[in-house]
Amino acid sequence: MEESQQISNSNPSYWASVGIAGLIFGIIVFVLGLIVTYLTINSEPTGSMLSPMQFVGLIVCLIGAFGGMLATWHYAREYDVPFTLGTGALIGLFTGIVIAIVNILLSQGWHLIDPKMTQHLIDHMVANIQASNMADQQKQQTIDMMAKSLRNRNQIGTQLLWGLPMFGILNLLTGMIGAKMFSKKDEDNF
Amino acid sequence: MEFRNSWLYLLVSGLLIFIIITALGGGLFGQTAPFYMQWQHKLFAGLCHQSPARSFWINGQPMAVCSRCLGIYSGFALSWFLLPALSLFSLENTSVRNVVFMMVLLNVIDVVGNVLGFWQNTLVSRLVLGWLMGWTAGLFFTGDFFKITIKSIGNHHGRITADIKQ
Repeated sequence: MEESQQISNSNPSYWASVGIAGLIFGIIVFVLGLIVTYLTINSEPTGSMLSPMQFVGLIVCLIGAFGGMLATWHYAREYDVPFTLGTGALIGLFTGIVIAIVNILLSQGWHLIDPKMTQHLIDHMVANIQASNMADQQKQQTIDMMAKSLRNRNQIGTQLLWGLPMFGILNLLTGMIGAKMFSKKDEDNF
Repeated sequence: MEFRNSWLYLLVSGLLIFIIITALGGGLFGQTAPFYMQWQHKLFAGLCHQSPARSFWINGQPMAVCSRCLGIYSGFALSWFLLPALSLFSLENTSVRNVVFMMVLLNVIDVVGNVLGFWQNTLVSRLVLGWLMGWTAGLFFTGDFFKITIKSIGNHHGRITADIKQ
């Protein structure tokens, strides 16, 4: 334990690695989300509850979880020092938080560039539900709920609430894996 | 058996239980709201495509993650919880890395082959491939939290004569 503390205390700061990896993956997650949204808006309503955007999702599943690994790789490569699993976990956790925040900030910024995007998405969803086989009453109910959900999605608080936990946790895990893969070996450190 | 970094092991164990329960979706709790309104789906929204057609269902509700992601999480969680037993085996970090890389490659090949129409993967095949990837990733941590030593008895007067995990 004392060994681990010594390693942690003497190691250089990891914030540069956290910032770089968080920024890169925040941008990737934002861009992919944007592609998915515009693909959805520009697709023909099929009446299915699934959107045709799924193709992108199939390829990029879980990509936002690998920021922690990139951050630990960068940290190990930059400083060439041994670091503990706990440090890897912290690097991953903070990277996940940065990813979520960068994604939210870019999303908010994009609404200034294209303020009608959400409305277009709601219009598409409404057309999609109208084309479905649901009963009229159920259609209206679904449209109301979906519109409310999509509008709420743009609020910063909502985005933080849903974005931070999972990005944080999964990047914590990949940060630990990164620590195992990239950290310089330290024989005394179990 | 030595148990080191216990706080980290227990913290990650708690987080993995949370991930698995959340990943199973609203059906587990008998939720009736449309799946896209459920908190489980919202939590995983940025991390998985969540296509109901490519997910398992519980109680008439799709899980919050696709079958491949479910496999990754459950495989990782299982090897994580079995770390005390797995620590009996000495696994080289490099070997584990190679196996994980192969599993990632296998999943990528499966996705690409499916998208290009060479074959049609299924819920179960995606679950199994994802599970293998998660399971092998968990093997990275054998020996990090638990260390098993065997103390000799009898003629050796209690001296440690074998250390399984070097």
